[in-house]
Amino acid sequence: MNLNSLLLLFFIGALRVSVFGQEVSVQKDSVLIQDLDEVIVTATRTVRQLSSVPLPVTLISKKQLQKTGVIRLDEILNEQTGIITVADQSGFNGIQIQGISSDYVMILIDGVPLVGRSSGNFDLSRLAVGNIKQIEIVKGPSSSLYGSEALGGVVNIITETPKDASLAGDLSYRFASFNTHDANIHIKQKLNKLGYSFFANTLQSDGYDLRPDVQGQTVNPFENYTFNGQLFYDFSDQLKMFVSGRYYTENQDAVLTVSDQLIEGDSDINETNAHIRFDHQITSKWQLQYEFYYTNYKALEELQNTVSNTLFSQNDYNQNLFRPEIRATYAIKSKSAITVGVGYNHENLDRTFFDDKVIFDSQYGYAQYDFYPWKKLNLILGARFDNHSEYQSQFSPKASFNFKLNDAIALKGSVGTGFKAPDFRQLYFDFTNAAVGYTVLGYNVAIDKVKELEAQGQLSDILFDFEDLETPLQAESSVGYNIGAGYAQGKVKLNLNLFRNDFKNLIDTRAIARKTNGQNVFSYANFDRIYTTGLEVDANYKLSDKVTISGGYQLLYAKDKEKKVALERDEVFARDPKTLQAVILENSDYFGLVNRSRHTANFKIFYEVSKWNFNTNLRINYRTKYGLFDGNGNGIIDDYDTTFVDGYALANLTLNKTFSDKYTLQIGANNLFDYQDEENIPGLAGIQLFTKINFNF
Amino acid sequence: MKMTAKFLTLLFIATAFISCGDDDNEPVLEAVESKTASNIPAPQTGGQGQPVGGPFTKFSFETGAVTTSDTEWDIAFRGTTIAINGGVVTGTDDEPVRNGNAGASIASGTFASITEASGLTFIQDADGAYAIATGSDNGWYNYNPQVNQIAPISGKVLVIRTHDDKYAKVEVLSYYKDAPAQPDADSESRFYTFNYVYNPNEEQTSLE
Repeated sequence: MNLNSLLLLFFIGALRVSVFGQEVSVQKDSVLIQDLDEVIVTATRTVRQLSSVPLPVTLISKKQLQKTGVIRLDEILNEQTGIITVADQSGFNGIQIQGISSDYVMILIDGVPLVGRSSGNFDLSRLAVGNIKQIEIVKGPSSSLYGSEALGGVVNIITETPKDASLAGDLSYRFASFNTHDANIHIKQKLNKLGYSFFANTLQSDGYDLRPDVQGQTVNPFENYTFNGQLFYDFSDQLKMFVSGRYYTENQDAVLTVSDQLIEGDSDINETNAHIRFDHQITSKWQLQYEFYYTNYKALEELQNTVSNTLFSQNDYNQNLFRPEIRATYAIKSKSAITVGVGYNHENLDRTFFDDKVIFDSQYGYAQYDFYPWKKLNLILGARFDNHSEYQSQFSPKASFNFKLNDAIALKGSVGTGFKAPDFRQLYFDFTNAAVGYTVLGYNVAIDKVKELEAQGQLSDILFDFEDLETPLQAESSVGYNIGAGYAQGKVKLNLNLFRNDFKNLIDTRAIARKTNGQNVFSYANFDRIYTTGLEVDANYKLSDKVTISGGYQLLYAKDKEKKVALERDEVFARDPKTLQAVILENSDYFGLVNRSRHTANFKIFYEVSKWNFNTNLRINYRTKYGLFDGNGNGIIDDYDTTFVDGYALANLTLNKTFSDKYTLQIGANNLFDYQDEENIPGLAGIQLFTKINFNF
Repeated sequence: MKMTAKFLTLLFIATAFISCGDDDNEPVLEAVESKTASNIPAPQTGGQGQPVGGPFTKFSFETGAVTTSDTEWDIAFRGTTIAINGGVVTGTDDEPVRNGNAGASIASGTFASITEASGLTFIQDADGAYAIATGSDNGWYNYNPQVNQIAPISGKVLVIRTHDDKYAKVEVLSYYKDAPAQPDADSESRFYTFNYVYNPNEEQTSLE
């Protein structure tokens, strides 16, 4: 501690000198060092300098997390260019990248995937940000490295590793609107060969109610806890071990009214992750990584009818994933490397609406060649092969390049394929809606279940040939193209990227039989072909030592190709609101897929006064109008629909003041201008004020 | 649309002139009628898991009005169900007896674009199945659970052969009282408003 205090004094002294002496060069150097420090691992599975990566990537640093005062992953991702979070009916905040929805975005922690989705949507508000070193987002398909689900992109959360021999850490408490409490503890230490870290977080809130006139709250009270312990042990300079255990638990009240009867209960989520990795440096050129990963995700919901005192519904969901993987990297020259990996994936799911527990097994292997055919040109060629027990094998190649035109400008481009395996629900679901009476069946059980329903006399008509369902459901797949340029010179950083993603075999429901009650039996099928295309621009300008401004913009077109064909053939109609008669729609009337805004933009300003140990930032995110659902029954969002959500901007403001270098007081407001749309965006609370005290040791 | 309408009107007038100028021996055809029926009530009992029942509201294209006749009716409404006077009862409670030769066909297009009944396949009500299929997206309507509303599927035209072998086409405009452009939670349902064109000449299939 003595040494620390000395260093601290020295540091403060140096700072004073630089402030009074107006030594700008020191500042410049630190900026430079910081830039060199920006490395990411997600794009290639090797450590790469951010600017040299040939793919569109976004890097969110710990500094940004701290300065903005966000507490959950969805909040910070929503502020990045080309990324928005979209809430589904159950209020789950999923992510949309390049217009591609959450179902097709893979979420990793330290390189291993998280499971537990609700109808495909991954709820990012489940993830606390307290022990994160950085968040890496690679846009576009990355199935060549990561396999299924990595079509739209990969979000990789990198946790902090201990570096100092002295005990270091943070202790913080945050109080916010809606009686929301968030507390964190994070400690880390690196002794000689042994390193460890521990992180715990709790978040509790009373929730909020945007519509007091309607019974029940918009968001019900909840509390959750996150624990993450990590152990690092160096057996030798050649063999190093990393062990991580994570546990998350959430409890939320559930209240609804059905036919004027109050239904009450709660929903629980429990998630466990266990991750062991050995890094083995065999020779100076050969490096091996052995990885074992296990995760379990459990969601339980039990509702009681308070009037009749009977069980209203019970919904269980229990998913396991076990995945060993071995990776080898061979460094050919200083910068060129070959990476190969093989792995085995065992997944099972037991849930309500499934007859039995279902099991997926797959084996995979991948290879990547990262090289410089010419010193200014970097090429990365890669491919992955997935062999699966329940669907066809997948081959996913990818090629990308980075051409360094000069010191300031680099050109980038990539072509890659992505796929998403049919999920458990799409194959094994057996669900009948009690209130309305329709039925949804998984593809693999549809024939048997339809025969059963027919034998019971519940069907009036079968709309398909049984033979049609004998060929297995195909994986959804995409080809993604990205081409762009980066410019970095002095105070200016610019990035431009054009993207196009072509999806085929998208899985959706269709009616396969009619029931005698007039409702349909639905099952899944491959039929949609969609595309998302557009461009994104990111700009960052360091106005002075105190002020940095940045802005981002995305233009997006996301449409269904089949619908475009139908529109060309004059087969799509809408109702004229005046005459109520049908009119033929043209392609120009077609707005696009649900939840896609044509334009999204952000603007941020960071202001720092070192001599006062004070900094503040204002971030504004804007999106133009988007369609919420097809309101006029013609299968598309069109100009005649009245189901558009108006464009809106959200502003977030945070102020930080550090005392004695150890204590940081933070105050701020999310949704500063109190934007609300209680009918269309129930997940958006009004203005939330917060204050936080952080003790850093 | 306006141009098309004008053109069709001109065409109609021209055709009318030509037919007038024809040989006097030809039987004179009655003019095709184009009308709107508003707020035809279609009450029903049961539903939501209970057996559906209650009398259908019967409609005659010839009179252009609701009728209580047991024989002189063409189509009938109960809730979202449309029955026709042809075939046999489907088997639900309180259905009218079918004693005519009505048939139904669902054509795709704007109302104006459906000009001929010939070439279409007409089906009749049968045991267990209405000619105009029930259920969302199966027949004439779409049910939107997000707003809990019934909307006629735009671009679907019901072409009806009447109980006495004449032809008509129907475009349902609304299922709500007074046909609001945008029904809301307070809109009263089970009131049909529809445009129809009726050709009163037996076996004449023209619908314009």
